[in-house]
Amino acid sequence: MAKKKSFAARKVGIVGASVTPFKGRWVEKTFYDLAQWATRDALKDAGISPAEVDAVAYGIYNDIFERAAIPEHPLQGIIGLPNKPGIRVTNGGATGIYTIASAFAFVASGMYDTALVLGVEKATDCYDFVSRSATPEVIKTIAWSGDSFFEQKIGWTASDSYAEVILAYMDEHPGDLKPEVTAKISSVLSEHVKTNPYAQRQFDQVTPEEVLNSRYIVYPLKEMEICVYSEGAAALILAEEETAKAIAKNTGRPVVWITGVGLSNEWSFAGKGMNHWGRIYSHHVAAQQAYEMAGITDPAKEIQVIELHDAFIQQLEISMAEMGFVPMGRADALIDDGLMLDGGPISVNPSGGLLYCGHAVGASNIMSAWAARNELIDKGKHRALVHGTGSTICQYGGVAILEHED
Amino acid sequence: MEQRKKVIPESYIPIEASRTLRLEGKDYLLMNDAMYTFYERSMGEFSQFFMALRDEKKILGCRCSACGIVRCPPMLTHCPDCAFAPTEPIEVGQTGKLLSTPPITYFATSMFLDKAPFGRGRVVLEGADTALSIMLYTTTGILTPGIMKKGTEIKVVFQDERTGQISDIFGVPTSELTPEQVQKPGLLTSELNWAAVKEPDLGQATEEAKRVSQGALVELESLLKEMNASKRASKAIENWKRTIAVKTPAVEFGLIIDNGRIWLEKGRPKSSDFVMATEDIRVLLDGLNYKGAITDAIVKRKLWISKNIEFVTIFKLDRLARFLAREKKEGAAKG
Ligand SMILES: [Zn+2]
Repeated sequence: MAKKKSFAARKVGIVGASVTPFKGRWVEKTFYDLAQWATRDALKDAGISPAEVDAVAYGIYNDIFERAAIPEHPLQGIIGLPNKPGIRVTNGGATGIYTIASAFAFVASGMYDTALVLGVEKATDCYDFVSRSATPEVIKTIAWSGDSFFEQKIGWTASDSYAEVILAYMDEHPGDLKPEVTAKISSVLSEHVKTNPYAQRQFDQVTPEEVLNSRYIVYPLKEMEICVYSEGAAALILAEEETAKAIAKNTGRPVVWITGVGLSNEWSFAGKGMNHWGRIYSHHVAAQQAYEMAGITDPAKEIQVIELHDAFIQQLEISMAEMGFVPMGRADALIDDGLMLDGGPISVNPSGGLLYCGHAVGASNIMSAWAARNELIDKGKHRALVHGTGSTICQYGGVAILEHED
Repeated sequence: MEQRKKVIPESYIPIEASRTLRLEGKDYLLMNDAMYTFYERSMGEFSQFFMALRDEKKILGCRCSACGIVRCPPMLTHCPDCAFAPTEPIEVGQTGKLLSTPPITYFATSMFLDKAPFGRGRVVLEGADTALSIMLYTTTGILTPGIMKKGTEIKVVFQDERTGQISDIFGVPTSELTPEQVQKPGLLTSELNWAAVKEPDLGQATEEAKRVSQGALVELESLLKEMNASKRASKAIENWKRTIAVKTPAVEFGLIIDNGRIWLEKGRPKSSDFVMATEDIRVLLDGLNYKGAITDAIVKRKLWISKNIEFVTIFKLDRLARFLAREKKEGAAKG
């Protein structure tokens, strides 16, 4: 594991945030307009104009979804930031968290005082004319992310790749990830989403029984344990300490500080000596780095809100174990011991998560940060963790710690 | 396995066209389109590996000259764990053990719809230290959970016609093969004894079963009526056309899907796209009532379909059931 050196940098805070509605399909808008919409709303939230933004980091996952290479170039003018630095980040499912980390580094380093984090994604324009439905073509588009020499031609998909990790974990811990627990978690998240008016599935509450009854997509994953593809955009405004405080004074919304960031990319090929099979080591390493930077020693006691990238419920459980909230092999404690139930010590995915709010890939983790910030400010909570995962076998992991001092 | 002549099958390619979609009183344009690039791809340092599959029915790994680890597939020419000491090609065995329990894909991408359900698993071949990812099949019919798990011994099988790619090989459990087949290097698909796709013998219906079936049919008809009345549910089967011959011991009928509508026709249909057979008509009825997916009924062998490719239609039926259940539920919630 890479050792993190002592971290000396400027303090960085979130002073504005927005999301567009996440929808199964945005026929009415291209990604140009979605991106501008999120930018407009984030700037409005921070009470600043484009002139006061020094740089932008774009989170756009997949060129094929957007149907353009370098999909971000038209956005620079559209969002009102011509002749300013822009960097596009693409890191699979974890694109959003890596985009936040990149903009964080821009500001923490002293290079820029303010930065816009802008995530946007289309997906469901992809269409399979044979089965006359979008989904097989959407998952094909994502399947171009498998290794091109050895994996793409044997039916690699994101679901089967994550399923591999989950099954390997289940080989090691056969009593964990019980179907009734994963079903209950999905049901709990479907209740959370009720209060998120931007969510794709705001009114799609499901019972554990319905989850258990939903069909297998890839064994052992059932339809209602898998996130849904979405289209939408999300944005954050980051600022260094003095600027952040000035903006907060103006808006009356307190600064939510980013006090820790961790990122990790594992090997992408499994095998003896080449992977910690049955573990999601990237999430463990990213969390440890972020905790170290934020000075957290006991995450389960010191973190109250988690916005976790729930690509799959089983992976949510393993990720919670990897990040130290439940023991490895006893992730079902999330439900069995009531940890993430109403009234429990940890609020997990108040947004409804990617299962119910939706997975507009480049925007997803940014939506999670938006939701975590709202939860901290509106509910007066102290500390939140935002998590992202991506690439084959959960290879990429990212964690950010958000803090609210008031 | 089907041999395709073109890199992109003709049937995948849409015609040049556009259409207008009206949403909340405003028109929007939808355009048939594609983003395509053709390659004459150089296989570089992997050439030997793929040519060995194609020409010699051999599997190569690479051995680190310093630590001796044998990686298969031969991912790299120099070992990153040994100050980039060079690796050298080495042949590995054609049987091995699964590193972990493999996932099974029931809902595949548009390129693999005709291959599902399939497993994909990592096999540590004899003589190798790392795992090779390959497709997994059973010779006994539809692949269901439990047939293969961590540690299951797998034999690599070669396609009869090979072009030098990873899909030239796949794995089956050695327990389904004769000792001679397990021993044989370069075992071919055509040498395996694949279970014939044959209809299950449903046996004779009792008088009681016939009575129950009649009741179920009435229920089914009224459920289909509800589906046709729901605009949202109909979306699941829009632009889709299939005639399904449904066979149960007590009754046979046709289930007709035609562009957003679904209905039942009594008696065996004159012609059908595929056959669905089950001992208990309730299995189908429950599926359409959103009490247990039809996909899972097939996985659990409670329901049989004559063509795996028709999982596409099964998914649409599962979706139809979900859309209707969801509409009813939201209707109830809104009072
Ligand atoms: Zn070595």
